[in-house]
Amino acid sequence: MKPHALLALAASALFATSAVAEPGKWSDTPVRIVVTFPPGGTSDLVARILAQYLDSEFGQKAVVDNRPGAGGTVAADYVAQQPADGTTLILGNNAPFTIAPTQFESLPYDPVASFTHIANLGASTPGLFVQPSLGITDLDGFIALAKGDGVTYGSSGVGSITHILGQAVDTALQIETIHVPYQGSAPAIQDFRAGVLDAFYDSMAQNSAMIEDGEVVPLAVAAPERSKRFPEIPTFREQGYDVVIENWTGLSGPAGMDPAMVQTIHDSVEQIMAIPAVIEQMDQWGIAHTAMTTEDFSSFVANTITVWRPLIEAANVNGG
Amino acid sequence: MMLPEHPFTKGNAMREFLLRLRRSEDAASPPHAWLGALGGAGLLVLSVVFIIGGIKLGVGVPRRLGTGAFPVITGIALALLSVAIILSDLRDTRDAETPDWISFAAIGASLAIFAVVSDHLGLMPAVFLAVVVASLPDPSLRLSGKLILGAIISLGCWGLFIGLLDLPFQAFKGV
Amino acid sequence: MDIFASFGHGLLVAMQPENLLYCFIGVFLGTFIGVLPGIGSMAPISMILPLSFYLEPTSALVMIAGVYYGAEYGGSIASILMNIPGTPSSSITCIDGYPMAREGRAGIALFTSAIASFGGGMIGMVVMAVLAPALASLALNFGPAEYFAVILLGLVAASAVSNGSPVKGVAMVVAGLMLGTVGVDITTGAERFTMGIPELRDGVNLVVVAMGLFGVGELIVSIKANASGAHQTDIDYKQFYPSRAEWKSIFNPILRGGAIGSFFGALPGTGQTVASAVAYAVEKKLSRNRGNFGKGAIEGVAVPESANNSATQTAFIPTLTLGVPGSASMALVIGALMIHGITPGPRLLVEHADLFWGLVASFLIGNVMLLVLNIPMIGLWVRLLQIPYKYMYPTIIVLICMGVYSVNNNVFDIWLTLAFGWAGYLMRLFRFEPAPLLIGFVLGPMMEEQLRRAMLLSRGDPTVFLTRPISGVLIVITIGLLAYSCVSALRARRHQRGALRSAE
Repeated sequence: MKPHALLALAASALFATSAVAEPGKWSDTPVRIVVTFPPGGTSDLVARILAQYLDSEFGQKAVVDNRPGAGGTVAADYVAQQPADGTTLILGNNAPFTIAPTQFESLPYDPVASFTHIANLGASTPGLFVQPSLGITDLDGFIALAKGDGVTYGSSGVGSITHILGQAVDTALQIETIHVPYQGSAPAIQDFRAGVLDAFYDSMAQNSAMIEDGEVVPLAVAAPERSKRFPEIPTFREQGYDVVIENWTGLSGPAGMDPAMVQTIHDSVEQIMAIPAVIEQMDQWGIAHTAMTTEDFSSFVANTITVWRPLIEAANVNGG
Repeated sequence: MMLPEHPFTKGNAMREFLLRLRRSEDAASPPHAWLGALGGAGLLVLSVVFIIGGIKLGVGVPRRLGTGAFPVITGIALALLSVAIILSDLRDTRDAETPDWISFAAIGASLAIFAVVSDHLGLMPAVFLAVVVASLPDPSLRLSGKLILGAIISLGCWGLFIGLLDLPFQAFKGV
Repeated sequence: MDIFASFGHGLLVAMQPENLLYCFIGVFLGTFIGVLPGIGSMAPISMILPLSFYLEPTSALVMIAGVYYGAEYGGSIASILMNIPGTPSSSITCIDGYPMAREGRAGIALFTSAIASFGGGMIGMVVMAVLAPALASLALNFGPAEYFAVILLGLVAASAVSNGSPVKGVAMVVAGLMLGTVGVDITTGAERFTMGIPELRDGVNLVVVAMGLFGVGELIVSIKANASGAHQTDIDYKQFYPSRAEWKSIFNPILRGGAIGSFFGALPGTGQTVASAVAYAVEKKLSRNRGNFGKGAIEGVAVPESANNSATQTAFIPTLTLGVPGSASMALVIGALMIHGITPGPRLLVEHADLFWGLVASFLIGNVMLLVLNIPMIGLWVRLLQIPYKYMYPTIIVLICMGVYSVNNNVFDIWLTLAFGWAGYLMRLFRFEPAPLLIGFVLGPMMEEQLRRAMLLSRGDPTVFLTRPISGVLIVITIGLLAYSCVSALRARRHQRGALRSAE
C-alpha cells in the first residue's frame, strides 16, 4: 500500500552513517516509550502498537510509560533528563515540541537541542465541521455566518492543535469566531450534538461515522491535498485559503545518543510502519506515514516551531 | 460546672458574678476554642490569598468570565463562611483532642524521605527508610523490630509493585 | 419485549467459556488491586490493555469492565478497615464504614458493602439494558447549563454529608471548589496559583487529595489512639451476617442508592463520586436512623456502595453510545475498542449488538463472581485488623506513597500528599470533615468550566440557567433542597435551645 515507505527505508539504509546499523534490537533492557497522554488515546495506542511490533519483529522489549501533564511538557522534561542510552524514548507530538516553546515563557528543556529526534511516524489531518442545520456547505457560507450572527466553535483545549487551527482559519478568512475550549474532542463533539456549538475542528478519521450519517457538514480539510478516504471534501487551499496544519507524531530520545543506535531505531521503526497490518491500523486512525531521515525529522521539528509561532501568538494561548 | 465553695462566694450576687466570669473564661480560653478559631482563621487567610490572586488574574466580563472570576467568587464565599466559623468556634466549649505533634512530624518525615530517596536511590531503600522513620513514634516496637519490619515491607513492595503489577518503578537507582 | 431476547442472547455470549474466564480475571484483578489505596482501576486496566489487543473485542471489553467494577468492590474494603478510600468514590463509605469497624462490626460492614455493591450493580445493569438509548439521548440534551445545574445540586447535597456543623460542611465544599482552581485555566490557558511549579499546571491530583486528607491525616490521629490498644477490638468472627432487622434497614437504601447512582453514572464526568455523595445526602435526609449517620450506621455503608456500583455500570452508556469517556478508565475502554476498529457511537448498539448485550450480561455474571469471591474473604480482611497497629501503619504509609506515585510517576505528588496529610490532621483537630472538601474538589473544575462555557455560549446572559427547561428544573430542586436544609437546621437549633431552657 505504501511502496514509498519501503523505498525510503532502503534509501535511509544506504545513507546510514554507520555501516553496521540495520533494523533490530538495540537494548538488552526493556525500552520505555514515554507517552505524553494518559492511556487510551490514539497516541497511547500508537505507542503500544510500536512496542508490540518491536518485540515481535526484533525481539526488542518495550513498555509504554504514560506521563501526561502540562501539555506534554512533563513527559518531555522527563525524557530530556534521562541517560541517552536508547532505553528511554518519547512519542512526541506538537504539544511539547511545537506549541509549548511559544506557549510557555520558560521551558525546562530545549525542544531541539535537548533531544535526538529519531523518526517521524506520521500525521493526521484535522478539518472544519459545522452543524447541518446551519445550511452552509462551503467556506464562503462560513464567512458570511461569522460576519452575521457569529459562530461558536469547539476545540480540544487552549493551545491544542485544533485551537491553533481555529486561529489560523480566522486569520486566513479574516473573520472572528468565538472559541469554546473543551478538554479533548469527545466532550466538544457531545456539545456539538447537543446543539450548543455551531462548529468544531477535529481529526477527519475520528468523525467518519458522523460524516457518513450526515450529522456534520465537513467544510474543509487542513491538509495540502484531499484525503484518500474522503475525496469529496475539499482542502482549505482549493477554496483559496492557505491553511495547512497537520498533527504529527514521532519518536525522539534524549540528546547525545549514539548515531549507530539512532539509525537502528530509525530503521526498525520504518520497517514496522511498512507492515500492512500497521498501515491499515494507522489508516483507521487517520495517521498517514511519511518516511523521513533522522536529519530531515530533526529539521522538521525545528522548522515547525518557527512556522507556527505567529499562529500560536495570535491565538493568545497563555491567557496574557 | 461546679465552683468550689469559697468564703467569698457566700453572697448570692458574688456567686452569680463569679459564675459569669468562669463562663466567659470558658468561652475564650480553653484550648479547643483557641484551636477552632485558628482553623477558621487559616481558611480566612486562604480565601484572601485566592481573592487577591484572582483579582490580579482578571475577573473578566459576564460574557467571557476571566481566569480569576471563579477564585474570587469562591474566595468571597469562603471568607464569609470562615468568619462565621470563627465566631461559632469561639463559643464551642467541647473538649479538644490533644494534638500529637510527634506523630505529625514522624509521618511527615517518612513521606519526605520516601520522596527524596525514591528519586535518587530507588524504591527499595525508600520503602525501607520510610517504614523505619514512620514507626519511630511507636515505643512498643524496638529498633531492631523496626529495621526488620522495614526490610520485610520493602521486599513485599518489590514483589507486589514491580514483580506482579509491573509498575514503572526502579528498585535501585544510580548505585 | 425484545430486550429479553437481546439479553438472553447476550447471556449466551457472556457464558462462552473464554468470556467467563476473562470476566473472572477482570473482576479478580480489579477487586484485589482496588484494595490497595490510591491505585484505583487505572493501573490494572492499562496493565491488561496490551493483552486485550489479542482478544475478541467482547472478551476484551468484558475483562476491562470487570476490572472497573471489581475495583469498586475492593475500594470499599480499605475504606472500612483503614479509613483510606481505595478508590476516590469510596470516600463516602469511610464516613460510616470506619466507625463500624472501630465498633468491632467490620465484618457486617464488609458484608453490607458487598451486598449493596451487588444490588447497585444489578440495578445499574437493568437500567443499562432497558434505558441505554433513552439515557444516551438524555445525556445529549445536557449542555453546559444543565451540567452546571446538576453539579450545583451535587454540591448542595455534598455539604449535607457532613456530620458536624453545617457551616463547616459548606465551607469545606467551597474550599474544595477553590482548591480545584489551582493549575492551568482550561478556558484561557493562564496559570493560576501554581507558584511557577510545572507539576501544578494540571492542578492537584485527586488521588493526592484523597490519600492526604483521609489516609495520612487519619494515620497521624490513630498512631496515638492505637498505641493505647484502642484499635484491637474483639471481633466476633461468626457475626458477619447482618441481622434480620439490618437486612430490612438496608433494603430500601440499596434501591435508592442504585437509582441515584445509575442516573449520575450516565452523565459523563460526574460519575461515581458524585453519585455516592448525593445518594448519601439524600439517605441522610430520608432515613429514620439519620441520627446515627456518621457514627456507624449500616445504611451509611449500603447507600454509597450501591450508588457507586450502579454508576460504574451505567458509566458505560455515554462511553459506548456517545464516545464520551467520563473518566480516565473509560477512556481506556474506548482505546480498547478503537484498537479493534470499533468506534463508539450511537450506531454501536445496532452494529455491535453482540458486544453491547454480551457486556450487559457479563455484569450479571461478574457481580455474582464478585459476591462469591468477596464474601469468603471477609474473614481474612477482618483478621487484618488483628495485626498490631505498630506493624500496620508503616505499611499503610508505604502503600499510600506507592499509590500516589503510580498516578503520574512523579515524586512531587508525594510532597503534595505530605502537605495534604498535615492539612488533614489539622482539619481533624479543628473539627472539619474531609469528605465535603473532596467532593467540592472533584466537582469544582467541572463546575467552573461549564459555568464559563454556558456564559460564553449565551453571550453573557445568566438567565440561561433558568430558561433552559432541564437546568431550570434542576435549579429549582436545588433551591428547594437548600431551603429545606436551612429551615430544618434552624428548627433543630430552636428545638435544642428550647430543650436547654426547659432543662434549666
